[in-house]
Amino acid sequence: MLAADPALSRFDPLPRILTYDNFDHGTNGWTELIGNYDGNGDLSTVDDHMRDFRPPQVSNCTFFDTGTHGALTGDYALKLATRPYVGHTAVAIRRLTMARKGLVQLETHFTYKAEATLGTDAANNSFGGVTWDGNLHPSEAQFGAFTVATDICGDGGLRYHTVMRYRNTTVDNKLDQRWVYPVVPEPTPREHLQGRVKLGYGDDFTAPDPNDWHPASEPMAMCYNEVPTKVNWHYLRWLIDTDARRNVELQINDTTLDLREVPVPVYTDRYDSLENLLNFYFSVRTHSGVRNFLYLDSVLVSVDW
Amino acid sequence: MRHAQTAVLERGAEFTGEFATEPYELPWAAEARFFVQVIDPAPGTVTLTTQLSPDGLNWIDAEHLAAVELDTTGVGMVTWRVSEFGGWLRLRGAARPTDAGRGPRLRIHLVAKE
Repeated sequence: MLAADPALSRFDPLPRILTYDNFDHGTNGWTELIGNYDGNGDLSTVDDHMRDFRPPQVSNCTFFDTGTHGALTGDYALKLATRPYVGHTAVAIRRLTMARKGLVQLETHFTYKAEATLGTDAANNSFGGVTWDGNLHPSEAQFGAFTVATDICGDGGLRYHTVMRYRNTTVDNKLDQRWVYPVVPEPTPREHLQGRVKLGYGDDFTAPDPNDWHPASEPMAMCYNEVPTKVNWHYLRWLIDTDARRNVELQINDTTLDLREVPVPVYTDRYDSLENLLNFYFSVRTHSGVRNFLYLDSVLVSVDW
Repeated sequence: MRHAQTAVLERGAEFTGEFATEPYELPWAAEARFFVQVIDPAPGTVTLTTQLSPDGLNWIDAEHLAAVELDTTGVGMVTWRVSEFGGWLRLRGAARPTDAGRGPRLRIHLVAKE
């Protein structure tokens, strides 16, 4: 069945496909994340670091030098775009619930880019220790990080996130290119309301202290393809176990990381109103102040339920 | 079904001078409409100009649309339609609050349809 369908044969799903999102058909339920607000809908009550995650765009990957690039197939991809502000993060989320617990797998064909810089300043030929040499391009060091993550809650309000981030550069713009994971749970609006945490606009909402991100891999080069306007699609497959509340493995092209020993921090407090929550999000964060983009050609979520 | 999408380009930011909204790519859309709401008033005006771009980097005022003037002294909303805009849209704005140092807070929606 899968092999007979060119669209699905690009994936390796578990027995039941929950969602298959091809952005030639709109946004498919991927929407901007926002923090929580008060009973009057007063958005000034939203946490500063969770009020501007930017609306996703249905893009045909058009660039200044060659025009329309297009997606892996068809014209369109979902594009997450940051502001040109150091630390700014764009987030798109998809909201499901769990009918059972077990294995859950997310697959995507994706790519990432920093925005092209146009000008006449020779200083633009170097950034973050990368100098244009006809092969390497400073744009690659202007891309910060992208993240794929979940928000899961069940068993009477027990809440946790599984999170994997490709940290292309450290926050001081040095190439790092490792997969990392947070060892603390994400600060929540309730913790802010209770006065336990207060983050700034450009703070990292997933885990604000860089020291709380631990490596899950050695440096892993991607196919950025030199300049900011050439798009090569990558394959990602991420398997988690909602019964064990664990990561299982992460595949990126020809490399598979065993994540079974990666810790998944659980909130000590219980959460109401979230029973069987199963959210997925992608985020992209700029460390350079240059706009960063994450493009998703398609996303498939499957389960063994 | 016909594709449609609403994007909230600004959610209540305060504007006190010249500004531009973030580039928004929508090559799939044939028609669009801006809605600009004054969420938190401040005496003065805001001038809003629709801008187009071939690449999301270089911008020019839409040749067929006049700039929109919004009185920000009270709460209110203004809207206008946009067509034949290419693949990108943004707004260029100039806020002129009469009380120096405090501008209006605006919410800006962009609604696009195939």
